[in-house]
Amino acid sequence: MKESLLEILRCPLDKSELELEDAEYADDGEEVVSGTLVCTECGEEYPIEDGIPNLLPPDMREETPA
Amino acid sequence: MADEDGEQTRRADVRDTYDRIATHFASTREYAWPEVEAFVGEHTDHSADGVGLDLGCGNCRHAELLADAGLESVLGVDVSRGLLETGRDRATDRGFDVALCQADAASLPLAADSVAVGVYVATLHHLPTRETRVASLDELARVLAPGARALVSAWSTAHDRFDETDGFDTTVEWTLPGGTTVDRFYHIYAPEEFERDLLESNLEIREWELSSGNCYATVAGSSE
Repeated sequence: MKESLLEILRCPLDKSELELEDAEYADDGEEVVSGTLVCTECGEEYPIEDGIPNLLPPDMREETPA
Repeated sequence: MADEDGEQTRRADVRDTYDRIATHFASTREYAWPEVEAFVGEHTDHSADGVGLDLGCGNCRHAELLADAGLESVLGVDVSRGLLETGRDRATDRGFDVALCQADAASLPLAADSVAVGVYVATLHHLPTRETRVASLDELARVLAPGARALVSAWSTAHDRFDETDGFDTTVEWTLPGGTTVDRFYHIYAPEEFERDLLESNLEIREWELSSGNCYATVAGSSE
């Protein structure tokens, strides 16, 4: 994801703004490959994995065994 | 509490099902639907500055329409990580730009009034309860900017394969190469029930029609 996406992304729980932490960027310097999105209100953390943010509510996020 | 747990399980089931069938499913969803092409053609003229949202984007075939229509940016949202990866592959192969985000349609991680044009196509019927379906319509209403329009579609009892006239829950098998079948949850909407859920939500109906066994509604958000 590009950092500019943070302009419209919000916490799925309380719709507050998110802050990007521990970001790692692709070689072009624009694409965020990994990092954590942290809600500025409730503190919930959402992972960015291989460039795609996972903003599922925490109770839907757990991996289910196949 | 037991009911709530059960619902969460089933909502996660939709994600797991599509993660499992993602690659094969996406390969059979090559072309955009003509109803969506018509909607995008009609509603992107004055929205060049805004964000296009494909909610339940799957392989991004409709996000591609939004991207080609010249919107400033396009966001594809899906519950399935596997489907989002097929969308990323399609965007790379075909050279269009789409931002991707894994999320639940009933609790959208988007700012109010952030979307200029939305498509919410063939996704609503995968949410397991009426409560979550109406909640997802409320979420769409929240994120649509003043003046923005979205197209909402769901599978309907009007389709030739159904004899029922009332809406009902069912599972529809997906057959993978090799013959393994995977059940997918659907709520098949009676047309009047589709209209009722839209009316109960914060969306405003502007037009609606039946086409090819699906209900389609053009809607506005709650900011108007």
